[in-house]
Amino acid sequence: MRRALAAAAVLLATSCQSLIGPPYQPPPQQPAERPAAPPAQPSQQARAGKAAQPPPPAPPQPVPPPPQPSRQFHLGAAASALVQQASREAASGNPQLAQSTLERALRIEPANPLLWIMLGQAHESEGQYELAGSMGRKAVQLAAGDPRAQASAWRLIGDSLRARGRNEEANEAYSRADMLAAQ
Amino acid sequence: MARRSEMKMRRLIIPGLVLVAAGAAAAAVYVLRLDHLVVRQFEGRRWTLPAQVYAAPLELYDGLALSESDVERELQRLAYRRVDAQGSGGPVRTGTYRRVGSRIDVGLRATRFADEARPAEQLSITVSDGAITSLRDGTGREEPIVRLDPLLIGDIFPIHGEDRIIVTPDEVPPLLPAALKAVEDRNFDTNRGIDILGILRALWVDIRAGQWEQGGSTITQQLVRSYFLSPRRTASRKIREAIMAVSLAEHFSKADLMNAYINEIHLGQDGNRAIHGFGLASEFYFGKPLSELDLDEIATLVAIVRGPSYYDPRRHPDRVLKRRNRVLDEMAEQRVISEDEARIAEAQPLGVKSKTAGAYYPAYLDLVRRTLRRDYREQDLTEAGLKVFTNLDPRVQADAERILDRELARLDRVLAKRPHHPKGAPLEGAVVVTAPQSGDVIAVVGGRDAGFDGFNRALDGRRQIGSLVKPFVYLTAIESGRYNDTSIVMDAPVEVKLSNGQLWRPRNFTRENYGPVPLVRALAESLNDATVNLGLDVGLDAIVRTLQRFGLEEAPPRNPSLLLGAIDLTPLQVAQLYGGLANGGFRTTLRAVRAVVSADGKPLKAFPVEVQPVAKADAIYQVDSMLEQVIERGTARSARAVLPRGLVVAGKTGTASDMRDSWFAGFSGSDLAVVWVGYDDDRVTGLDGATGALTVWSHLMADVSTTSWTAPVPDDLQEITIDYPTGMRAEASCSSDLVTLPVPPGTNPPVKPGCPAMLPLGAAAAGAAPSTGAAGSVGGVASSVGAALQRAGKWLQGLVH
Repeated sequence: MRRALAAAAVLLATSCQSLIGPPYQPPPQQPAERPAAPPAQPSQQARAGKAAQPPPPAPPQPVPPPPQPSRQFHLGAAASALVQQASREAASGNPQLAQSTLERALRIEPANPLLWIMLGQAHESEGQYELAGSMGRKAVQLAAGDPRAQASAWRLIGDSLRARGRNEEANEAYSRADMLAAQ
Repeated sequence: MARRSEMKMRRLIIPGLVLVAAGAAAAAVYVLRLDHLVVRQFEGRRWTLPAQVYAAPLELYDGLALSESDVERELQRLAYRRVDAQGSGGPVRTGTYRRVGSRIDVGLRATRFADEARPAEQLSITVSDGAITSLRDGTGREEPIVRLDPLLIGDIFPIHGEDRIIVTPDEVPPLLPAALKAVEDRNFDTNRGIDILGILRALWVDIRAGQWEQGGSTITQQLVRSYFLSPRRTASRKIREAIMAVSLAEHFSKADLMNAYINEIHLGQDGNRAIHGFGLASEFYFGKPLSELDLDEIATLVAIVRGPSYYDPRRHPDRVLKRRNRVLDEMAEQRVISEDEARIAEAQPLGVKSKTAGAYYPAYLDLVRRTLRRDYREQDLTEAGLKVFTNLDPRVQADAERILDRELARLDRVLAKRPHHPKGAPLEGAVVVTAPQSGDVIAVVGGRDAGFDGFNRALDGRRQIGSLVKPFVYLTAIESGRYNDTSIVMDAPVEVKLSNGQLWRPRNFTRENYGPVPLVRALAESLNDATVNLGLDVGLDAIVRTLQRFGLEEAPPRNPSLLLGAIDLTPLQVAQLYGGLANGGFRTTLRAVRAVVSADGKPLKAFPVEVQPVAKADAIYQVDSMLEQVIERGTARSARAVLPRGLVVAGKTGTASDMRDSWFAGFSGSDLAVVWVGYDDDRVTGLDGATGALTVWSHLMADVSTTSWTAPVPDDLQEITIDYPTGMRAEASCSSDLVTLPVPPGTNPPVKPGCPAMLPLGAAAAGAAPSTGAAGSVGGVASSVGAALQRAGKWLQGLVH
């Protein structure tokens, strides 16, 4: 149990580091969670948060199928602070607390695959392999266009499969992860 | 003679003495028994503490879109009081805030969250251009994220039971016991449980007044009465009460007795719920903790003690104001406060909050109670002092309640003007709102009168869902691999022979048929005949399995009418089913409760986020794209007039049982809402999904400031542009109604007659004007970013994310 917890802590800590990646640049404006009153143009405002990074140049020629634009997911400042807090909580042997802190971050950025991966890793370390695998799959879907995040998600899926004795599928997941990481 | 009488005397005296001795012994036994009883009960007394239920706390962080007035409104919702900005340097008192320019300084209360307790602390919030730009603690240190207190939204008290919030002596403002002594029991500190002089004085007042005015009971006697005795006023009870009071005073300190009194005494009634103790009374009447009450408010509560129903400040404000001022006079007379203090306090209005202004959400609490009953005994919930942390978002809840009531009132007026509209009780409705990614239930409205704890239509109102079932028919078709969004299905009259030998002939809502139509049009326009043809081809069994995968617990009857939604579900069940559509094919467990914590702060139970894949991303993406067209050009297009420009949402109308039930279920990126509108007695409303439920839904989505629905295009799909009415490939030169849809590679619909024969495949059908499709084309983005921003929707979002 102790070893599992320590492993979880290390996993969380390293994953946070590798996923956030120093130096971290928070986008100037975060997607709004929920303002109490609608701003003038809520959806535009919400988009403004996402559009804060300059949009990549449109492909010069419309070639079907549209190439998945490559991008890299980041955590906002608030979610990033919560992830750090969660990794401290996991390291001090309180995985339940770490999970609930990660869920706080998830409420702020529900479509961020990095958070789903971390939450999945937290469940994996607690032996909830199936849930961990589902969260990995959710992350793969959300991380379209970010091979690095997708690779982490596939690794999580691989771990969850291996833990359930499905080694062949696990190896398949790991090799997908390796292929994506090489991109 | 004398001897005889002596004998007689002796014969009388001895039994008399025996009798007296026996009587004395009996009395002693009686007193001892009472003494034993009172001591044991007082010592063993644990107040039963109903579970307290909290809303989700508002997370404040850098960049969160909140204006100064939004922040202020949130603070006021939590009963923080604004104070003068004078001397804006020092700390602000706990429970208050001040505004200094664009900065708001708050004295945050000590509070407990699901995962930790936080001591009282200072917080400075800086806001600029409608968003939070900085959060600093008392030392000026920057904080990335801070939670406001979770709003107390109710208690789970036993039926006909006592509700209270226990306060410890250090949470009691010193003026309260002082005021209680001044008014109820002047000699409390010195008397021995009863106060003979006090009784005589009261008697004298009563005799002079000719009526029962002063009770003359000490605080200890009142405590005994509240603890052990029925409210009957008999002489024997008076004696019992006096004996027990003396016992209590003998065995326990005055401080213990005062503390018990403050937590025990009855101070009001709220339907079945009895308000006990000053801690709860403070929240019940003023919406804030006891420790923050001012002199006038303390005096009001003390005034209520004498008769909570006679002195109900909401029903008899004048009466209470008068008595409150008598309390203040009395306090000044006994030098508890100065004359000046009394005068200032007497000038204050009562300041009791209206009952409806409070956070009282019976329909949501109902869901919380049902969730907890799976894991806890009733007694644990009503007595053990649990703290329950929920996912309720008070802002969304308040919006949903207000909009439902407003729109139903408007619809009632519209319907009243229709000729032959049957008269009867007004329209009813229900709303469920969830955060689809996590499964959090964030609002539940069980009826039009949201503050009324009655029939909960959101949880118990089982109604026929009609066309709400169709997305699952189409999803099953796409999953079969034989259909995509552009596949052609026949919208032609259909006859089905049922197992009972009868013929079923469904008809389109419009009574017209449209021949061969693409799937997208059949779903967007909710064509019944096309759907039945499609569903019969796919098979009922497969559709039932889809519904069950998405969370339908019961097995619906395998009847062809299921294809058109002949199944009764509650709004909450619909929210569960649509969750998987809104969440990329992942089913989440709907959660009202986040965590349960024991009275002493130990975590007891957590309800974590749970997801489970139930459909492939590409199939879901195709269905969601069609549901987007429901709003862009289908049965729900009227919503566009209400929704903010450019907000991408998806959903489905449902009209069932000859217009008895009007439904809309739909989602944005961050919110899923299900709305039902109809009559309780099942009369025909004459409203379809769009004219009824959709108006509530679209106003709600517009008001809660939600984010656009967006999902990355799955790798194994590509976008092509077709002519919406026919489903054939086309371009702007030969079609006035183009739509771009995601389909599996290799999909190659025939070219529309009159279009160039060599149209390129893919989304980039040259010249497809982005303004005609909800999803823009690559060419459109490159050429006209401005127009595309509004129109391109999810695809562009994916691009710039």
